[in-house]
Amino acid sequence: MHVHELNPKKTLVVLLIFVAVIITGFLTMTKPLLTYHKDMKQSLQTLKDKNAFFYPYQLADVINNKNKDVVLIDIRNKFAFSRGHIPGAKSISAFGLTNKENVERLKDYKKNGITVVLYGKNQLQANGPWMLFRETGFNNVRILLGGYDYYLAHKNNLAETKSDNSYIKGIPRYDFAKVAKASVSVSEKEQKSNVRKPLVIRRRKKAVVASGGC
Amino acid sequence: MNRNYLFLTLIMLVLAVGLLFFHAQNKPKQVPPDKLLWDIIQPTRYVSTDNVAKWIIEKDPSIELIDVRGADEYKAFSLPNAINVPLDSLITTSGSEYFGIPGVRVVLFANDDILSDQAWVLLRRLGFKDNYVMKGGLNRWFETIIKPQKPPESDPKTAFELYEFRKGASLYFTGAKVSTSSKVSKAKVVFKRRKKVTVASGGC
Repeated sequence: MHVHELNPKKTLVVLLIFVAVIITGFLTMTKPLLTYHKDMKQSLQTLKDKNAFFYPYQLADVINNKNKDVVLIDIRNKFAFSRGHIPGAKSISAFGLTNKENVERLKDYKKNGITVVLYGKNQLQANGPWMLFRETGFNNVRILLGGYDYYLAHKNNLAETKSDNSYIKGIPRYDFAKVAKASVSVSEKEQKSNVRKPLVIRRRKKAVVASGGC
Repeated sequence: MNRNYLFLTLIMLVLAVGLLFFHAQNKPKQVPPDKLLWDIIQPTRYVSTDNVAKWIIEKDPSIELIDVRGADEYKAFSLPNAINVPLDSLITTSGSEYFGIPGVRVVLFANDDILSDQAWVLLRRLGFKDNYVMKGGLNRWFETIIKPQKPPESDPKTAFELYEFRKGASLYFTGAKVSTSSKVSKAKVVFKRRKKVTVASGGC
């Protein structure tokens, strides 16, 4: 005789409780705070979307309160923030960006159509967090090109930066092929002497030892 | 068989299937957003142009250089032995086969560091580790390795030693292409040290 035949009612009750626990587990399972809304291909597209950028000259209107639909978020650490930040910016250090409070706040901003501009010391620092929020569905999050450093250097003439392109990254500053070749052709004579130099150096070494011994 | 047990078994099966379905939706292969942000915040993925120059000169076999710019820019100029995987093709099956190889460290580079950083984030989301970003990109490469700047006199000795290394590396990458060039740079440093000794002894 098996135990479930000896005490059928008890076994039934236990099994029912087991099933009930599993079902409630499913129902109450906490949804993760952030989920990806964009797949890899869409995420790639976002990187080229001009509407995902925020230009330095656009800061002027935000600072003088003409544009109230923009919130600036400084993701540097609190110390850097206290030493100087863009007027009106909120400080949320990168570590705390995905805690529940901030995510809820971002969701509120999104609902109310407010643009959130992330900035770090430079574009590189804010790049990762910006990408992350774009990929998790916050299409109202933009990145400040040039970062805080560019703003600091141009804060007195932001409107004029519209014609400046120095904060745009990814542009080669030198004609790489030309400069690398130029160094080769110039040093062609040196190249021969370079190949000889190992011998020269060794001879010099001996000379040094000799003069040191005198 | 007791009808109750049959009924319960059916419920179990339904739940098991539901669990499978739930997991498939979550795409467990990708790194979840909060973990990804944690990895993004770490600065450990950045390597300097000096690191990369050293790895190339020493012919470090565990290093793989990947140029994430377009094919045209890659053809015009790139780092020695670098492979071209444009950002757009990073996520295709053929592009992603360069990553995730055990024991291989991948260094991503571009004109600056933004493009390579973006590539890093996308690769990390797909779960690939051991990728690094060359800070400053080729622009910084030219400013430090190809055309190094002499540090001002007030800088510490380490700055001058770095400058010596960079001058040697510059010759390696633009002048002699033979492998003895590494000996040239090493010998050069020794030579300069001895020079100082002779100056001192000459002054006595």
